[in-house]
Amino acid sequence: MKPSRASDPYWMLLPTLLLLLVFFVFPLALLVKHSFFSWDLLTPARFVGVENYRSLLRSGELWQTFRTTLSMSSAVVFGSMMAGLGLALLLDRPGRWAAFVRSAVFSAYVVSWVSVGLLFLWLLDADSGVLAGVFRFFAHGRAPRWLSDPALAPWAVAAVTIWKITGYALVLFLAGLQDVPQSILEAAELDGASPAQRLASITWPLLRPTTLFVATTSLISSFQLFDVVRVMTQGGPVRSTTVFVYAIYEQLFLDLRVGRASAEAVAFFGILLLLTGAQFWLFRSREGA
Amino acid sequence: MTGSLLGACADPAVPKGRTLVSLWFSYGGKNREVLESLVQRFNRGQTRDFVQAVYQGDYFEGLAKLRTAIAARCAPVLSHVVGEVVPYLAEAAVLEPLEDYPGLRELDLIPELGQERTWSGGGARPLCALPFNRSTPIAYLNGQLFARAGLAAPRDWQELRAVAKALSERKAGGRFGFGCPINWWFWVALVGQAGGSIVAENGRISLGDEAGVQALELWQGLVRDGLLKPPPGRDYNAWEQCNQDFLSGRAAMIWSSTAFLKYLEEHARFPVIAAPLPAGSKRAVPTGGTFWVVLRAADSARKAAAARFLRFMHEPEQVIEWSTRTGYIPVTRAAVRALEQRGYYTAHPNDRVALEQLAVAQPWPWSVDLFRIQREIVQPRLESAVIAQGNARQTLTEARALALEPT
Amino acid sequence: MKRASSRALGWLGQGALGVVALVWLFPYLWMGLTSLKPLAELISSPTALWPEQPTFAAYREVFRSLPLLRYFVNTSVMALGIAALQILLALPAGYALAKLRFRGQRWAFGLIVATLLVPAQVRFVPVFSLLAGVGLVNTLSGLILPFGVSALGTFLVRQALLSVPDAQIEAARIDGASELYIVYRLLAPLLKPTLISFFLFSFVSHWNDYFWPLVLTTDEHARTLPLAIALLREQGTGVRWHVVMAGNVILSLPALAVFAAAQRHLLRAVTVRGFGG
Repeated sequence: MKPSRASDPYWMLLPTLLLLLVFFVFPLALLVKHSFFSWDLLTPARFVGVENYRSLLRSGELWQTFRTTLSMSSAVVFGSMMAGLGLALLLDRPGRWAAFVRSAVFSAYVVSWVSVGLLFLWLLDADSGVLAGVFRFFAHGRAPRWLSDPALAPWAVAAVTIWKITGYALVLFLAGLQDVPQSILEAAELDGASPAQRLASITWPLLRPTTLFVATTSLISSFQLFDVVRVMTQGGPVRSTTVFVYAIYEQLFLDLRVGRASAEAVAFFGILLLLTGAQFWLFRSREGA
Repeated sequence: MTGSLLGACADPAVPKGRTLVSLWFSYGGKNREVLESLVQRFNRGQTRDFVQAVYQGDYFEGLAKLRTAIAARCAPVLSHVVGEVVPYLAEAAVLEPLEDYPGLRELDLIPELGQERTWSGGGARPLCALPFNRSTPIAYLNGQLFARAGLAAPRDWQELRAVAKALSERKAGGRFGFGCPINWWFWVALVGQAGGSIVAENGRISLGDEAGVQALELWQGLVRDGLLKPPPGRDYNAWEQCNQDFLSGRAAMIWSSTAFLKYLEEHARFPVIAAPLPAGSKRAVPTGGTFWVVLRAADSARKAAAARFLRFMHEPEQVIEWSTRTGYIPVTRAAVRALEQRGYYTAHPNDRVALEQLAVAQPWPWSVDLFRIQREIVQPRLESAVIAQGNARQTLTEARALALEPT
Repeated sequence: MKRASSRALGWLGQGALGVVALVWLFPYLWMGLTSLKPLAELISSPTALWPEQPTFAAYREVFRSLPLLRYFVNTSVMALGIAALQILLALPAGYALAKLRFRGQRWAFGLIVATLLVPAQVRFVPVFSLLAGVGLVNTLSGLILPFGVSALGTFLVRQALLSVPDAQIEAARIDGASELYIVYRLLAPLLKPTLISFFLFSFVSHWNDYFWPLVLTTDEHARTLPLAIALLREQGTGVRWHVVMAGNVILSLPALAVFAAAQRHLLRAVTVRGFGG
């Protein structure tokens, strides 16, 4: 439709675009600018060129943060998708019990990260937590120090994250399963295909677009983990759970290094762009399939 | 109401006619209750000022908020900060000089706890920090286990090893003879005991040189031999874990702060004995805790009110209340005298330990990099060196190099 | 819609359902039970299932130590403000993008969707110093404004409007309706289900926000509930888990209540797919 006045669309978009400019475009530009300075917010800023980037690379911090974030995110995405798909297959049935369980799983998605973080901090407490009690009862030993062992902590945090977000994958897979035509499945059953065969040759391929969508959106959002790390481990022990956003937060607020934090944020943004680009590329090439 | 809700840094409701002093503090649990009760006492005892205390998380979180609030021009009037960061804040000119406020120069502070001797050359600078909760590291011994084994508090590093060995149970999940948070503070103590100092006399950041390595290696050795239980986590999580280990009998002897004295005494199901730290080649401890600071950006009426509050807090009655309810060292000589007269220290010998240890307290260097060195450079490396058994010498050499880099 | 596998589940299947229910429900149950235990029991037998002497002492302690009402109000006002602002802006924007042809249309749409690439955590450094410069730190406005634009909201509105026949709008124009009237008085009611879903989704997710309020607020003037509850985990002299869990119950209830009451609407907002379109 043509607008009744030529300027209409622009007025309608003005507030949106204004806010975008102020809170997205401008900050990005400032971010890049800050990354070339050394500034502690209290004393005047000092120009240092690419020193912040060099320091991040040289100290291995950038690489370590990337590795930590990537491994935790991958575990989260893989875990929540496997769980989501499995649960979708299990719960895709009528009846109140199944509906109740579906709600239960999804409810974890709705509460805050602080809730979940505090809850599991308590559950996983190596001395007085429930899991420790179970361990003592069944294994007669001391429970592993989930959150205080640098080797275990990232997986513990990933597990908690999976618990919280599996509901998202579940819901999307359920919707995807609805799209699988009943007729084909029934025909295959009549032809003697076992449930496993039906799953592998019919359901799974038809779920591919959903799978891809869930995988990429989960990956991008899990790359932005912060709350659960802040509440449960504060990036430790020994930086084993220091993911990107936490690293940036720490640089800025605890160490007051605006320049370095900005450089790290620029790097983070670059990586996100790459991941999203990959998502679009993958998604586009599958659109027709 | 919406206006006030959405307004910028608007002042919340305050009793009419009083000057509001916003105080940001960083204690939880018991210490928080004591502070809040003292604040209440001040508020009720006069009608001129009103102190509003806001909890901001632990020391480091609180400090982070304070610094960003200063930058955002939304800072409180009064807060308290760890000693290591005072030089940085003072040099950044955000602290109000306190000498000229009535009564603050004549507080009769114990010199080791006041600005004068907490930092080298502290007395030469304008007064900008007053001691609040001051402490030294001390050792806590499980009275029952020590009596049973017929052992006394170790007086030097060899005895420390021996005692830890005697009290460690050599089985999985068994008791450790010794527990200690892998923390900057205790490392500094060990460095001092090994005869070194963090910053050399000429200002070079030495991190103790050889003494620093010896300190780290002592810990590593104890962990390796299963005598020292490495507590996990970061910052104050590690301290708390250590306290819990002591209380539950999983560690027979721990190093912690005198700040937890009352807490441990109250919750232990065995007699708690406090003891000074052992000597390396000599005895040495750093001081710890925080200092009151008034922020320069606040308006003069509020700063004056804050100064009145500080005078109140330094009166013997308040100092005694704070100290005896928490375990921190009383900061004025008048208070100590009063306590001695009452026979307090005879009845509570544990409280005397930190006080007497002040005789071997070492000053901090007045260095703007001190806090950064602690937080960013040394502390993270201590953890990894001890938990992962890295090479101590290499770790410290790296740290030293990093410390010298321009920020 | 009976599926082939909907025949009665075998023991294994029932067992699996039970395990799933346990894994996702037990933590909440434990949270509630812990919040009812007295401190003594918590210390002596922390892993015992039922409290021997259930008490509300933990809840009293939470109410005593936090100005809960204040935090509740702050959080609600913030979440409401954000959701309302987002809808307010998404309606005309989505309308312009869906129904009006103009130059730069694709660019505008692209720009809005591109904001999904710039999470709060990347922009917070400069946004913080920006807000600090204008004195909006520690205010509710500072918490609301940065989130005023929602790519999801704009997208949803646009999608929904694409299926509204142009004729309806043109008829309204002929009747003399202004474009603003069309957007807010004619089209908005038509989009009610979409708007409700989006409103609920945005409200709940911003109610739960932790990061932005954490960096932007400094005292209870604008502090939000998740922050306050996280602070309950005071350290140094022993974490009082029953108090923390009581606070956690208080924190989780609103989101769970909204979920229980409006599950369908929330799910609708989540299952938006096909962003490439």
